[in-house]
Amino acid sequence: MPKNYREVRFMSQNNMLAMILAGGRGSRLLDLTNKVAKPAVAFGGKYRIIDYPLSNCANSGIDVVGVLTQYESVLLNSYVAAGGRWGLDSRDSGVFVLTPREKADEGLSVYRGTADAISQNIDFIDSYSPEYLLILSGDHIYKMDYDEMLNYHKAQKAELTVAVRPVPWKEASRFGIMNTNEAGEIIEFQEKPKEPKSNLASMGIYIFTWKSLRKTLIADMKNPDSSHDFGNDVIPCFLAENRKMVAYKFEGYWKDVGTIDSLWEANMDLLDKKSELNMNDTSWVIYSDDTAALPAYIGPEAEIDRAYITQGCIVEGAVHNSVLFTDAEVKPGAIVEDTVLMPGAVVEEGAKVTRALVANGVTIGKGAVVGSRDSENILLVAKRVKGEE
Amino acid sequence: MAKALGIVTAAPTRYKVEGMQEHRPIGSFSFAGRYRMVDFPLSNMSNSGMDRILVYINGNPRSLVEHLGSGRTYNINSKRGKLQLLFHDEANTNEIYNTDIASFLDNLATIERSHFEYVIITPSNMVFVQDYDKLLKTHVESGADITLLYHRTDEAREKFHGCDVLNLNRQKGVLSIEMNLGNTKDKNIFMDTYILKKELLLELIDRAKNLSSMYTLSQMVSDVCSEYDVRGVAHRGFFAAITDLKSYYDANLSLIDVKNASSLFDPKWPIYTKTTDSCPTQYFEGASVKNSLISNGCLIEGTVENSVLGRGIKVKPGAVIRNSVVLAYDEIGEGVHIENQVVDKWAKITHAKEIVSDPEKPGYVRRDDIL
Repeated sequence: MPKNYREVRFMSQNNMLAMILAGGRGSRLLDLTNKVAKPAVAFGGKYRIIDYPLSNCANSGIDVVGVLTQYESVLLNSYVAAGGRWGLDSRDSGVFVLTPREKADEGLSVYRGTADAISQNIDFIDSYSPEYLLILSGDHIYKMDYDEMLNYHKAQKAELTVAVRPVPWKEASRFGIMNTNEAGEIIEFQEKPKEPKSNLASMGIYIFTWKSLRKTLIADMKNPDSSHDFGNDVIPCFLAENRKMVAYKFEGYWKDVGTIDSLWEANMDLLDKKSELNMNDTSWVIYSDDTAALPAYIGPEAEIDRAYITQGCIVEGAVHNSVLFTDAEVKPGAIVEDTVLMPGAVVEEGAKVTRALVANGVTIGKGAVVGSRDSENILLVAKRVKGEE
Repeated sequence: MAKALGIVTAAPTRYKVEGMQEHRPIGSFSFAGRYRMVDFPLSNMSNSGMDRILVYINGNPRSLVEHLGSGRTYNINSKRGKLQLLFHDEANTNEIYNTDIASFLDNLATIERSHFEYVIITPSNMVFVQDYDKLLKTHVESGADITLLYHRTDEAREKFHGCDVLNLNRQKGVLSIEMNLGNTKDKNIFMDTYILKKELLLELIDRAKNLSSMYTLSQMVSDVCSEYDVRGVAHRGFFAAITDLKSYYDANLSLIDVKNASSLFDPKWPIYTKTTDSCPTQYFEGASVKNSLISNGCLIEGTVENSVLGRGIKVKPGAVIRNSVVLAYDEIGEGVHIENQVVDKWAKITHAKEIVSDPEKPGYVRRDDIL
């Protein structure tokens, strides 16, 4: 028993601590992640990708969230450290950025894998003595009640519950596939199988009973042959030891936004009249940073058809089938179609942008024409495009 | 930073805003879609480096208390600074007793205990941007006892009725303070904003109390113009005084003009407000939106022209909104046409197909109403 009450930290809600794996460089997002880590990339007009898991945590009654990162973390760090944005700042709750630390006997290390990132923070997790640990990744767009998943985990008396979602059979070989028995127990895990036996893809969302995972991690840290990865090492170890693992089926909207095309697509999904993500649902709000910006100004000659536009935008030209982020600007005579304009992007007079994703603060000069309707991939515009002088 | 105690006063009771005011004091009115009136004086003070602010509340306090909270929105750290909400027990017998002096007297100790030498007083029913750090320096350097902020207008015949007016000499010395009766077009509208030493304010409050229970601070200052050095400083830029429904309606719509909006909203002088975390606004096929300010969280399928839409407005297919101020969470149903209206929060208009008023006398649709 701790002698001093200050040594005890409580999590007053569901005794589950969450860790978000946000370490990836996100190199498939090309120039978008030159300056910021992937989870801090803007999404959906006013959000950042990491607002989704953080808001889900807050809405699911989780008090403490660790964000594991090792790449370009200054912006991400200052962003998530203000836990107040998601309501994660009341007593005994908080968002903590956990980068690799220098420890007395080991010197400065890096996170060697997803599991190692957790192993290196066992002391942090132990200080809250949680019963359950939720592992999330920082690059998925979805809304999910982790508390319901925890109830399932408890009811099944599992040591690990993996969230899965059915994917089309022909795409199953692109995912980590969980094969289950009739009781929903996981009996096999195949990473990108050529001939999948099931179409239940892992969403990279795990609930572990902490005691059980802790034991495995301590062994894994010392294993020189391990790659210290949840998929490659931890789950196979649980399988080999016959520990109870169950699959938790999730049917709602879920999108991996790891590439320019998928990031663009997920933004476009918001334009659907019956968008499955339903950002307007006040019972499950996605929280974000609030910028001091005027409501969107729509000019006298503007033309807007199928669009998602946030405060601070100025629209004086035409916007079709597009998503405009904070402070984006479309000048008179400009045309923006099938395009995502990230925060502060400007399309000058008479310019035309088609099927593109224009990065933060980038200007498309007067009369410039960018992108094409039948391009195979979405064009990323990360540098100023010169217009007519 | 301006080293002064900030005081945000409630609007004088002579200002009546039809309908709107039954639900909240003017300071709590929504403005420019996503703001409240009180955000402007508080952001001015916060941006000027002031973090001890008293906000006087009269009338129904619920919405103002909810909006202001601990003041965190305005970057007032509750450990270092302080945003205090002060309530004034309104006299029900006769509202002539509900003066600013009466509300100062109700909470006099909070002013007396302040460590600041200076006090800056500004109202919650006027919208403008003012750097109080600069104004305080001007005040101190001029050697004046009291500095009053005013806005020069040539529209005093049509606007600002009932506002106070500064009668100035050539050296900007204040000769008297009178009410604008709309008899001439050029006037110096007093912005109900004062800078003076705390000790002088306390003296004036005490003298006013002994003169008459109906006395206001501006009447008291007018009385002492010959005794003290009282000077006017001109304000430039956007200025709106909310004194009735028409002025509220006009002030909102005037911000659709980019020139006005950019004078009030300078990125280097942010106006803070409480976030509701509403998502961006969605425009569907068939929507047509022109010359308008649109807040977040709206779902637009119809037509919106020359209007200001607050948060979470549903505009159904075929609906037309023209020259209107629509506050928040309203639904304008299929085929409904509204023009020259102020629509209060949570109204649902589906049955009435046409609600059109004279632009000189805009209509008011009640809060929570179903039409």
